[in-house]
Amino acid sequence: MIGKLLEIRDLDVIIHGRKLVDSISFALAPGETVALIGESGSGKSMTASAIMGLLPPGITMAARSAIVFDGKPLDPADETAMRPLRGRDISVVFQDPMSCLNPFMTAGAQIDEALRRLGHGDGTKRRARILELLQLVEMSDPATIASRYPHELSGGQQQRVMTAMALAAEPKLLIADEPTSALDATVQAEILALLRRLQDRLGNAMLFITHDLAAASQLADQIVVMHKGRCVEQGPTAEVLLSPKDPYTRMLVSTRTMLAELPATAPRSSAEPLLAISGLQYEYPAKRLFSKPFRAVDGISIAIAPGETLGILGESGSGKSTLAKLIIGLARPGGGDIALFGESLAARNFRLTPAMRKRCQIIFQNPYGALNPRLTIEKAMREPLELLGLSGPDDRAKLGSALADVNLTPDYLGRYPHQLSGGQRQRVCIARALLSEPSLLICDEIVSALDATVQMQVLRTLKALQQKRGFAMLFIGHDIEIVRWVSDRIAVMHRGKVVEQGEAGALVTHPVEAYTRKLVAAMPRPIA
Amino acid sequence: MDRLASVLFAVLRGLVQAACIVALTFFLCRVMPGDVVDVLGLEGGLTADQQVEMRRALGLDQPLLSQFVTWVSHALQGDFGRSLRFDQPVSDMLANALPVTLRFAFLSFAFGVGLALLLAIAATAFRSRWLDGLIDGINIWSIAVPTFCAGFAAILIFSIWLGWLPVIGGLLMPVIIIGLDNAGQIVKSLREELKEAVMLPHVRTARAKGLSPWRIAIAHVLPAAAPIMLALSGLALGGLVAGSLTMEVLFALPGIGSLTLNAIHGRDYPIILAAVTVIAVALVLINTVIDILHRLIDPRLA
Repeated sequence: MIGKLLEIRDLDVIIHGRKLVDSISFALAPGETVALIGESGSGKSMTASAIMGLLPPGITMAARSAIVFDGKPLDPADETAMRPLRGRDISVVFQDPMSCLNPFMTAGAQIDEALRRLGHGDGTKRRARILELLQLVEMSDPATIASRYPHELSGGQQQRVMTAMALAAEPKLLIADEPTSALDATVQAEILALLRRLQDRLGNAMLFITHDLAAASQLADQIVVMHKGRCVEQGPTAEVLLSPKDPYTRMLVSTRTMLAELPATAPRSSAEPLLAISGLQYEYPAKRLFSKPFRAVDGISIAIAPGETLGILGESGSGKSTLAKLIIGLARPGGGDIALFGESLAARNFRLTPAMRKRCQIIFQNPYGALNPRLTIEKAMREPLELLGLSGPDDRAKLGSALADVNLTPDYLGRYPHQLSGGQRQRVCIARALLSEPSLLICDEIVSALDATVQMQVLRTLKALQQKRGFAMLFIGHDIEIVRWVSDRIAVMHRGKVVEQGEAGALVTHPVEAYTRKLVAAMPRPIA
Repeated sequence: MDRLASVLFAVLRGLVQAACIVALTFFLCRVMPGDVVDVLGLEGGLTADQQVEMRRALGLDQPLLSQFVTWVSHALQGDFGRSLRFDQPVSDMLANALPVTLRFAFLSFAFGVGLALLLAIAATAFRSRWLDGLIDGINIWSIAVPTFCAGFAAILIFSIWLGWLPVIGGLLMPVIIIGLDNAGQIVKSLREELKEAVMLPHVRTARAKGLSPWRIAIAHVLPAAAPIMLALSGLALGGLVAGSLTMEVLFALPGIGSLTLNAIHGRDYPIILAAVTVIAVALVLINTVIDILHRLIDPRLA
């Protein structure tokens, strides 16, 4: 194959005789970008690890498989043969830059290490190159950044340092393994644009691994869709995304189109709000003596009418989860008041009565952590019934119908959480929260730990239930499309404050505040 | 600035700890039934009048609190008083005993921690089942075999039957016994920690950069495991105190351990207090140094 930089034929990645990656074949020309798309467990990262020769111990490539790089076959198991290629001809940018950078070394020292291994001249020459590389990844003050430790950098800066390090040798192939999924939406957009510009400048080929169709459509020439270790579809980006042939690809694409079509919003009710928060404040105590406490919630005022969904949109650290904790009494506010079902909580020292708890339920982000691994689903669901005094002889029937509401059959009652998928677990959490027929449901990032296709199924179920039962929701999220899809109104949170709130559609189409505009600008464009 | 403040804080905490230990020891000593005069009385047949007179002369008839205040004010000036039994300055007795214990403790610690480190690193690097077995073996040994049992067995085998080593005064046997015991307590956690460190994402980054295995081990794996290695070393040092006491008695080493044990038997309060103070201050000092090292190694803690 002349003209191909990387060619992968019949790649099988095997652990204990089980195939994690099954007969994957694709090729990458110099300067081209191929996106490997798949959800968790699809084998996309294993494919990248095989190319780098970084497969975890016990995981091997099958003998029949071939990885040909620059005309030479690679053997991932041969450490001495792979090492000269790494960081020189093939580099990689990993997912979570915070944990992928060495916390004990400054950013500069880590780049220097890469340069030294390349035999890049003496100290002064390397120093100049470090600054040059940091400038290349568009850092405004390279010298300062170089002297910082990873924990002193923001997520976006960390990922820029990772990228600078990976590009130190101007590799022919850059593997970007979910480079933006650990980052906030606005930062994601910046890093993706940066990768694109760098590629234009340096001419490297890129293998872009992602679960995000929109990101892939921005960067890739070709797309390979992976599902359960197999390639279900591949071809030019526009072709795959606009006319997907495989059912799985179609489902992936349809999750995006579903987000584009908004469900009908509930008419604004004029009834007295279920929840009215005014001037709410909360501070986390200072970590060290004499340093200032951190104000996580800074004078928030919001209200939710019966049956309404209020979306709280914010990036990490905006204080949105702290807000949820305050409402259900897991933390005591430092100021302001919460009126829950018309009763002031400040007057009762922010302790919720059992009757209030019955009417106000919460679902958390991580469904694995929210279910006790030692309890069957039945026991886990029975617990709140007993606590709230709703238990009776017809418990099993009640639990069964609650599961049916979230599209699970009653035989799930006998199972343990580890026997369920992430989406099923979150459905159980929803069913459990709805057992007491609450009139207000707080959803704290309930789909962010789930794959895109599963996210949409869970959201659809939740929305259908809301239409049937008429409960109000406080829906906390960081994904602007999802929050818009679920919510009637949106409040945008930034650094503990609500910077803007309004009707969901209008807020996204005509954002007023600068921060909201930035969030909207980072929103993925429609694929078409 | 922040780093300096956190170091100062560690030192302050250490001082408070040491003060608490000393005060506790002082009062616990007095909870033991009988005092030095009772013991001397039993041994030498003092009359009741002589006993009263002696208590008065030694200040033992004063209220407990004022005895404590007196002792602290003298101790702060380096005066630990005189032994009640031997009528020698306690500081002289300590000065004689301390070097013996220090030499013993240092050798055992170096041997134990060195062995544990070596085994843990080798087991991680070579992934050898044989080494893993050895590590588990040493670990079980340290849990199952009390050091004094090992001491008796060693004396029996190497000194009496084989006649290779002297029973009295030799350092080799006690150092190996205590070192092995120390190594057994920490080697397993050390290995697990290193195995986890090897799998850390930033170590994978280092491999992806194409660095040599040596460079990866020294610059990326060991620093990540250093905090826990330090903590475990501190733990091993704590065990050393108990260990050196039994070994000094068993092998007749004239160190702090022997001195303290004899003093406890004789209710020789000034010696007990002085010895415990020295041990406490030493331990707190070591822990503080470890704490400070930890803060210096890890930039996130500063």
